[in-house]
Amino acid sequence: MSNLDLQEGLVLRLEELSISFGGLKAVDNLSFEIKEKEIFGLIGPNGAGKTTAFNCITQFYRPNHGKIFFRDKHGKVSNLIDHPVHEIIKLGLVRTFQNVELIRELSILDNVLIGAHIDFKSSLLAQALKTKKAKDEETKLRDEAIEVLTFLGIADRMLLPAGGQPYGILKKVELARTLMCHPKLIILDEPAAGLNDIETVNLAKVIRTIRDKYGCAVLLVEHDMRLVMDVCDKICAINFGKFLAVGSPKEIQRNKDVQAAYLGETEEDQ
Amino acid sequence: MSTFVQLVLRSLETGSIYSLAALGIIIIYRTSNITHFAQGAMGMFNTFVVTFLFTTAGMPLWLAIIGGMVSALITGFTVDFVIIRHTKKVSPVAKQIITLGLIMIFVGVTPFLFGVDPLNLPQLIPTGSLPVAGASISFNGILNIGFGLSVMAVLFYVLQRTKWGLAIRTTASNEFTARLMGVPTKTVTMVAWAVAAVLGVLAGVMTAPFTSVTLNLMDGVQLNALIACVLGGFQTFYGPVLGAYIIGIAKNLLVYYVSSVWGEQLLYLGILIFIVFRPYGLIGKKIVKKV
Amino acid sequence: MKLKRPSFIVKKNAHLNYVLFGVALCLVPLLIELGLLRNSYLTLVGSVIIYSVAAIGLNLLLGWSGLISLGTAGFMGLAAYISAYATVNLKLPFEIAVLLALSIPLAVGILVGLVSLKIEGLYLAIATLSVSEILRKSFEEFGDITNGFSGKTASYPKLLGFFQLDKYGTYILLVVVLVGVMILIHNMINGQMGRALNAMRGSEAAAQAMGVHLLKYRLVAFALATSLAALSGILYIHFIKYTYPPTWTLGMSLNILSAIIIGGVRNIYGTILGVFVVFAVPDLFLKQIPYFGAMPGFAYIVNGILIIVVIMYYPYGLIYLGNDMKKLWGKVKAKVKP
Repeated sequence: MSNLDLQEGLVLRLEELSISFGGLKAVDNLSFEIKEKEIFGLIGPNGAGKTTAFNCITQFYRPNHGKIFFRDKHGKVSNLIDHPVHEIIKLGLVRTFQNVELIRELSILDNVLIGAHIDFKSSLLAQALKTKKAKDEETKLRDEAIEVLTFLGIADRMLLPAGGQPYGILKKVELARTLMCHPKLIILDEPAAGLNDIETVNLAKVIRTIRDKYGCAVLLVEHDMRLVMDVCDKICAINFGKFLAVGSPKEIQRNKDVQAAYLGETEEDQ
Repeated sequence: MSTFVQLVLRSLETGSIYSLAALGIIIIYRTSNITHFAQGAMGMFNTFVVTFLFTTAGMPLWLAIIGGMVSALITGFTVDFVIIRHTKKVSPVAKQIITLGLIMIFVGVTPFLFGVDPLNLPQLIPTGSLPVAGASISFNGILNIGFGLSVMAVLFYVLQRTKWGLAIRTTASNEFTARLMGVPTKTVTMVAWAVAAVLGVLAGVMTAPFTSVTLNLMDGVQLNALIACVLGGFQTFYGPVLGAYIIGIAKNLLVYYVSSVWGEQLLYLGILIFIVFRPYGLIGKKIVKKV
Repeated sequence: MKLKRPSFIVKKNAHLNYVLFGVALCLVPLLIELGLLRNSYLTLVGSVIIYSVAAIGLNLLLGWSGLISLGTAGFMGLAAYISAYATVNLKLPFEIAVLLALSIPLAVGILVGLVSLKIEGLYLAIATLSVSEILRKSFEEFGDITNGFSGKTASYPKLLGFFQLDKYGTYILLVVVLVGVMILIHNMINGQMGRALNAMRGSEAAAQAMGVHLLKYRLVAFALATSLAALSGILYIHFIKYTYPPTWTLGMSLNILSAIIIGGVRNIYGTILGVFVVFAVPDLFLKQIPYFGAMPGFAYIVNGILIIVVIMYYPYGLIYLGNDMKKLWGKVKAKVKP
């Protein structure tokens, strides 16, 4: 994969991504690109194919057609489809889950430490024997995790089990988990789901702060228009798995096709 | 050729026994979402009841069997009422383990009530056989096969054509939604456990004449019934029945033609390989988890 | 919801606790020699230790990794027979026998692990059960190695070729092995591997997104569980010194499974508590109860009821009964002192 496939300044480029289930095309020839450190929104009405698209990006689904170029942490460009799902995080691409997939019985700190899984280099034997190298590694990564939790303001709860924590806290824990791998691109799966107005405004702030502090791009797959319009630098709208429009928040707001997709044809009466 | 026919005829009988037990397991699985490991043990317990009624109480065999069915109904109701009803919050693995606990209870209570000596239960039709295609099948065998098939026919009729059957199938598909729709799921579950227990005692009564009535009476049946469900897939009611007959036939053929010692193990090995390639059974469908 | 104690604060103490626990266990021979305990207690406690090793392995598989196996007994028996045959027939030194008896079951265990990626839950249970049944049949049939139903004998181990252990020496070996296992497993569980296994159990999707290679960790889980079952089998044959095929049935696998459920999934001390309840309490207490104790099957009934009660009301195991007792005591104290 040469650097020609992905321009300088871009971190992700989808090229004609397609996937079908049964006879139904869930994502149809979708293309867009995300710049480094850009906050990019992917919107569309229910069933538009947003989640399917980003499951394809993160290799939870294998697309039928198309390429996904990504510039990893080390500057190397590759096609994500060439990688198995558990290797994606090594490249610096990490995601959250709409249903907040945390491990209930583990403490919040341990949950965040799972995000550092790939950073542990000591062997199983070394861990079993608690060699100095293994102990130091654990301490170092533990401290990093505590730092991230402090940054997100939830370090006081870090020893409590994740199960039973309020939903807003859990979303922050998932976010903390993604930051452990020093990501180049974080994909957020409906992060505003279940949050009230105040929490959503805070979320926008947090997303911007993360982008500024960690220097990563953010792909936001979201329903909540206020969050998207507020925080995104650029937005791509899709419907029926197909590309509709891309542009700045203002441009998307004014786009007739996008309006029709969300509000239906009757909008024309107004 | 006649040996082959003989084997097939025997297998139909074995298959009937397995399918009754497998039906019990699948009914429980689809309504309570529990893999009923204790189906065999409960069947064994109620078969002891039948034997007790027959030998000690001196009832005629057919009456003793009915007595056993009543006891099975009571056992099934009780298990559901005392235990299963209260397991809503329990994880699926833990529910399985509850049935392991049930095995222990029934295997413990049986010698408590009926002593440790093996007992004997005769067939309903003790003598006489019918020649078929160069082989022969005992009248009792015909009775077993016929009875087994009728029970299944009745069950399938009830499931597919009656309101009760619809209630069962709805609960089996999604218990929560069924409850919201007004289906009396509590009753359905209770009935399911009672019916499964009755199927268990019927299987036990058919098995008993071939061996003696001991604690291990239903071990083989239980294992094969479970494997029948695995083979036939847990998604349908008729899959395990199909699986049961296939296992009955395959086992007898393997044991006779290939190896009397390793025949059963070869069957298990075969099933193992089958599971790897078709994890959801002959008729099962994969359920994709949405992320 | 059980609060996990902050591991990085208590870790040092945890190791010490395991060692102290081992020392306490070593007192049993002393108490027997002093006449304070009956001789049979050595076998009783020894058995608890032996089954605990296998149970910790199963807990790793089922409790922490969420993978079910009904094949524990098969692997234990396989290792037992191999070690017996190696030391008695092949006259190999104990250490070589141990190596053989660990590696062969391990190879089979890894095969099962490979298969496990494609099948789950009940299907995995049936697959492991089939493996165990095939193994048990092998014990019956390969009489040249196993002596079939006559049974196979072995003797107390001879360490490093010259140090012959006696009854008490072997018991101490058992304790040392158990404490070693407890410490190693504790370290692994509280580190990266433990988190990866928990993640695999809790959410395969999240685990994969975080870089956990599912196949690798399933294999690790199966490899460890099988090794511990094999280790347990080796300890069994060299302490109990006799075995025959009916020892290694599904019943034993189920007993070990019950032990970890009753005692505490995902808890090392809980595992030992559970093994004690399932394997020792029947002989120690239940048989002594007047009238009921003499009845056949009584222990079985009690165990069955216990399993059901624990699952319904104490899903994390009886080991947390201690916590509840402490809380209750705290409440009582608060009421008494204003």
